Amino acid sequence: MKRSLAELALLAPIAAFVALFALLPVGLLFATSLSAVGGWGGLGNLLALPLNQRSVANSLVQGGLSAALALAFGYPAGVFLGRYSWPGRNVVRSLLLVPFLLPTLIVVLGVEDLFGAGGLLAGPAPWLLHFGHGVPAIVAANLIFNVPLVVLLTAAGCETASPELEETVVTLGGSPARAYRDAWGRPTWIGAAAGGLLTFLFSALSFAPPLLLCGERCYTVEARIWSLDQILLAPSDAGALALVMVVLFLAPTVGYLYLVRRLSSPSGRRARPARPLSWTGTTVALAVETAAVLTAVAFLLGAVLFRTLVPYGGGGPGSAWSALFGPVTAGRLGVGIPAATANTLLFAIGAAGITVLLAVPAAYAVLRRPGRSSGLSLLLFVPLLLSPVVLALALATFWRPLLGGEGSIWILVIVSQAVLALPFALQSLGIPLAGLAPAGREAAESLGAGRFSAFLDADLPRVRDGLITASLFAFALGLGEFTATYFLVTPRFTTLPVALYGLIGARQLPVADAAAGLLLVLSLVVFLVISLGGRRVEL
Amino acid sequence: MSSSEPILRVEGLSAAWGSLPVLDRVTFDVGSGELFVLLGPNGSGKSTLLRCLVGLESPTSGRIVLEGRDVTALAAHRRGIGLMFQDAALFPHRTVYENIAYAPLLQRRPRAEVDEEVRRQVDLVGLSGFEDRAPDQLSGGERQRVALARTLAARPRMVLLDEPFASIDPELKAELRADFRRALGAAGASAIHVTHDRPEGLFLGDRVGLLFEGRLERIATPRELFRDPGSERAARFLGYNLLEGAHGPEAVDPRELRLSPEGPGGPRLTVVAAGTTGGERLVILRTPDGGRVESRGPDEGPVPVPGDRLYASWTRSVRVAPNPPRTAQRRQEP
Repeated sequence: MKRSLAELALLAPIAAFVALFALLPVGLLFATSLSAVGGWGGLGNLLALPLNQRSVANSLVQGGLSAALALAFGYPAGVFLGRYSWPGRNVVRSLLLVPFLLPTLIVVLGVEDLFGAGGLLAGPAPWLLHFGHGVPAIVAANLIFNVPLVVLLTAAGCETASPELEETVVTLGGSPARAYRDAWGRPTWIGAAAGGLLTFLFSALSFAPPLLLCGERCYTVEARIWSLDQILLAPSDAGALALVMVVLFLAPTVGYLYLVRRLSSPSGRRARPARPLSWTGTTVALAVETAAVLTAVAFLLGAVLFRTLVPYGGGGPGSAWSALFGPVTAGRLGVGIPAATANTLLFAIGAAGITVLLAVPAAYAVLRRPGRSSGLSLLLFVPLLLSPVVLALALATFWRPLLGGEGSIWILVIVSQAVLALPFALQSLGIPLAGLAPAGREAAESLGAGRFSAFLDADLPRVRDGLITASLFAFALGLGEFTATYFLVTPRFTTLPVALYGLIGARQLPVADAAAGLLLVLSLVVFLVISLGGRRVEL
Repeated sequence: MSSSEPILRVEGLSAAWGSLPVLDRVTFDVGSGELFVLLGPNGSGKSTLLRCLVGLESPTSGRIVLEGRDVTALAAHRRGIGLMFQDAALFPHRTVYENIAYAPLLQRRPRAEVDEEVRRQVDLVGLSGFEDRAPDQLSGGERQRVALARTLAARPRMVLLDEPFASIDPELKAELRADFRRALGAAGASAIHVTHDRPEGLFLGDRVGLLFEGRLERIATPRELFRDPGSERAARFLGYNLLEGAHGPEAVDPRELRLSPEGPGGPRLTVVAAGTTGGERLVILRTPDGGRVESRGPDEGPVPVPGDRLYASWTRSVRVAPNPPRTAQRRQEP
């Protein structure tokens, strides 16, 4: 069956958006940069520079270490979450999403608060200072952010396992270990591998942790690109290195997309019901490990909130909050916190609006026909291939001159946030749509409804939760987006994450903690709304 | 039954979902080489009983004795009872050969013996030449044949079949049932087959156990069972009409029910629907108190129309007892 004109029309807006605000500017950035550095030979010379080589090595080491440790810590907890039913399981599942909604800056701040000089842990135990800077600190920050992803994706894998297959292995004489190996373990490995690849990508391309927790010697490629463009004023070198980065990380990105597709298409099978928890040596060990993971995440975020209450600048407890909204902070940032909060909310709302307007018709047209649309849907997931810095660099190079002065920067910020949120919004929408049987729509059409009415009456109500989740998730990602926004904004359009970065950079840690607390509260509100009614975000 | 010595004895088995009883003191035995059918409506506890037997659920009381040994507390993988599901549950990443060879390899049998076992099983289920196919290249019926071959290749002491034909096309079902019966017989396997499909249960079983609301109400050969269903609900489940006779409720075979516009005769019934099912006329009627009655007979004469009131008469009927009282609130199985 050929794709109908109507379906192509539904895909046109998102295709145009991705082309105009991702493919075209990034393609031009790569072409002009490659030409400016002297072609492939020049690119080779650029790669031969020790600092560039080191950034690639740092990316691979930090990404690899973080992924391996995230798998080690996250996999057992993922199995415990996905396989067994226990009190508070759904709340924990929802809470695990919170770190993903937060900017990495908060996690960086948490590491500083715990392990930095005078930190809550390193203060009384100075030997822990070792974890407050350098690669250990960066990996620790990456882990807090990414272990929950591995947990969630492993649990998602668990839920696609066939209970009948597991029971068949057992009744054929296979031991429980054999049932794990041959039946229910496999989907958990797929989920964990997807989580591991995502962790690798996020960690290898991390920006704030190497900048704030180590410095130039730990720069990832992402940080190096930023440094080339913003500090060394060598945009062509930055663009050419960005091309290397995209090529380098193409395979893990495609691998992640492939695995996540396998997780989300269990041939219409309903999610496996969790089994009642019975306490054995294995389940006790899994429970303890899960509790340790949750405690570590909660401890780090709790440290940030706790430090907001520490007396600051000669004031009493909570004085950091007063300072956050005071004139000194506004002077330091060039904008007051209320204005930064308003910017943050407006940009996130704009990005979520664009994302959903584009994603709904696209997901409807593409994902309703699984198997026929892999090439096209891969195109829609292109933004996942682009790191925030590459995207921001491309948008700034291509679109900023066309849009004119500083007054139009906000457009680029919203656009960049929307581009980055698109793959996740499609993912959240795609799964309910892919599982949508056409019978309801066909029944409506047979009763005389037009195609659009049938979609509105039969399909839309059934994907309403997915739609709400996708828009809130896009909004939350916008709230926490730091890297691309930092690259693009001027002080007038400062957002809360950018303000937070400024405060950490100025070593105003208790005030930064208060800014982080504000972001945390905003993200928690979004998370609570997502969780209402048992909605779930699909990563 | 090929032997009088039971291979399986189930004694007073009860099970519950939380505080809600699902099985109530179920007792029966299965002879060596026998195909025992557990027949009952949805939610009667059939699958829970099967899962208790195989060791996937724990009973709250009672004993399961297999070949003289109490296996009630034994882990599922040590019981030697094979289970086949409605969904064949084949390993999707293994070929037909690898699926069937799975248990023999687990048992560390020599390679040549495994090859011979697989060859014998694919012959038995009529799938020679399919050994290298992947499960997604098979039809639903072929997948079920592979699942049976895989179960039999494990040489279980007993085979349990949980509605294995439920998702098979009706045209294929009869042939598949016969092939399963033959394969189980050839393997000399004792089996329990669970179904809510009355013709299937009566066709397959050496003996049939009727399960209602967690209670095993009656065990008999299919012929005996049909001749004397026992209770009102058993008669109704087996397709009888329940009508008030001279000495109380009577079960009347729909083929024995005669309808006439004029009395005198039995009760007067109201036609709900009537039509042909191909060579046979089916008339559905209501009794004055709302009960459903069916009549099947030659497709001759004028077809009654809904609303017609006809007198029912019959020459043969079976006496049935009232249903036993319900003991506790039960919940449907998931």
